[in-house]
Amino acid sequence: MMSHESTDARAGDTLVTLEGITKSFGAVQSLRGVDLRLGAGEVLGLVGDNGAGKSTLMKVLAGAIRHDAGSITVGGRQVRFHSPADARSEHIGIVYQDLALCDTLDVASNLFLGREPRRGPFVDRGEMHRQAAEMLSTLHVRVRSTHQEIGELSGGQRQAVAIARAVSFQPKVLILDEPTAALAVAEVRQVLRMIREVAARGVGVILITHRLQDLFEVCDRITVMYEGRSVEDAAIADLDIETLVGMITRSNTTTEEAA
Amino acid sequence: MTTQVESPPQRDLAAEPSWWERVNKATVAMLGVTVALFIGFGLASPNFLTFDNMSNLATQVAITLIVAIAMTFVITTGQIDLSVGSTVAFVAAMTAELLQLGLDSSLVIVVGLLAGLFWGSVNGWLSAYQNIPPFIVTLAAMSIIRGFALLWTEGFSVPIDRRLFVAKIGEAEFLGFSALAWIALATAVVGGILLSRMRFGRYVNGIGAQEESVRRAGVNTRRIKMITLMLTGLAAGAAGILTAARLGSGSANAAEGFELTVIAAVVLGGTNLFGGRGTIVGTVIGALITGMIANGLTLMGVSPFLTPIVTGLVLIAAIWINLRGRSLAQLFSHLTARRT
Repeated sequence: MMSHESTDARAGDTLVTLEGITKSFGAVQSLRGVDLRLGAGEVLGLVGDNGAGKSTLMKVLAGAIRHDAGSITVGGRQVRFHSPADARSEHIGIVYQDLALCDTLDVASNLFLGREPRRGPFVDRGEMHRQAAEMLSTLHVRVRSTHQEIGELSGGQRQAVAIARAVSFQPKVLILDEPTAALAVAEVRQVLRMIREVAARGVGVILITHRLQDLFEVCDRITVMYEGRSVEDAAIADLDIETLVGMITRSNTTTEEAA
Repeated sequence: MTTQVESPPQRDLAAEPSWWERVNKATVAMLGVTVALFIGFGLASPNFLTFDNMSNLATQVAITLIVAIAMTFVITTGQIDLSVGSTVAFVAAMTAELLQLGLDSSLVIVVGLLAGLFWGSVNGWLSAYQNIPPFIVTLAAMSIIRGFALLWTEGFSVPIDRRLFVAKIGEAEFLGFSALAWIALATAVVGGILLSRMRFGRYVNGIGAQEESVRRAGVNTRRIKMITLMLTGLAAGAAGILTAARLGSGSANAAEGFELTVIAAVVLGGTNLFGGRGTIVGTVIGALITGMIANGLTLMGVSPFLTPIVTGLVLIAAIWINLRGRSLAQLFSHLTARRT
């Protein structure tokens, strides 16, 4: 396992603070008051059982869903997102589980999808591949060539390309939704290493995962969600996996407390 | 304990891959079929490999190719346009009718192109913005558009005065090839640039593979899909004018089954019938194959009724290669790939 510095040492200035976030879908109350804080260069693990509200919360932060009540503070300013574009303009990036890549386009085309460099009316392919190669090398993404089609890549490589694309937007906050699900062991290591490299650049990373061992590999701190609430917040160095499982399942909490 | 992970070997990631790695394998297979057909027909009929016949073949293929180039974009986005034959007939009939009314040729050409564009826009709007599957929209349009043409001409073929400019387009030649062939070549060049060198082409390929991914990248995918159907409408409009010019008349019964020939040409060339991967070079090859089969069999004195049967069989073989060729190509690249 990787050694960790203390939470406060690695977590720089607070980038994002969520306070009392609520969200209902009809009669279903998905978020019942969530608090969350993320510092620059910090990797925060967001964990909880299925239906705990992790993905909903992250969609709120990424601007894909509008929250009902509560506040979002980014860089000391209170903001309200109406669309993903609003979140992007605050330098908040997200990589969803489906990665949003195009299988039949090559790596460079995927990295620059929607903002391809141009020379006159034409796509400047030389420049696009050069920048893509630079981007991938910096993040140590292992692909054979920027000309490789995404469909030819392994799950880990695809994930790495998706993260590289998100990083290329120069986010201050990067949300990763289950980036290591269904990956081979070696690929998990590649993705986790990439997460550390991204955080080392001062980016605050929020990692949603069911693979608890990943949290101990890469996170500084974890926030546990349970039935739409944030119920625990702790430095990973103070936890072991059994305690963490107990926090997620609330097995060491009475029903009244959990509610 | 801190785990040390060694740096990956630094290679020139941006280096252009070899020709073989880049090329569409299904297209290469079809190029092989083209060469085989050339040799086969050349041996079977002494008149096949003459310049006159090649020029004739280019003219025969031209109209199919013009629409097939546009259809490549439609199919690559994962859509289909079944109405192109009807649009050709509508515009051909309209061209003849308007010329009979005494309108100037240049105006008739513009109106013909706009009519094609109009039908394409209707198809595109209903498919892309009203979410009706393009198969259904264009199937209905196929019936409606030809219906209008029949209603207008009452089923009669309308002659065009051979002295008019439009009629002369059908007879014009340059360097031994017809104007139609040159127009088709120009369309192919423009189509090739649009598909492989411009953002539009990338989005067309991307939409066919994963539309949602392209949409999330901030691209207006509905607009792109609508534009592709407008392109087939426009191309069918041009094909309608050229059909009238070549035949010297406009008929609502023209271009029956034309949509299948066009789709066959596109798929034969290696464009994925289910979208995501399009090739203009392949479409040119596909159009040549369909034209060559008809031309070669005619020169061999085979019954013309055999042509659709042979074309159909070649199409099935091509789709088989289209589907299997990709897995063979994947196997090949897996075997030749360096470990990363």
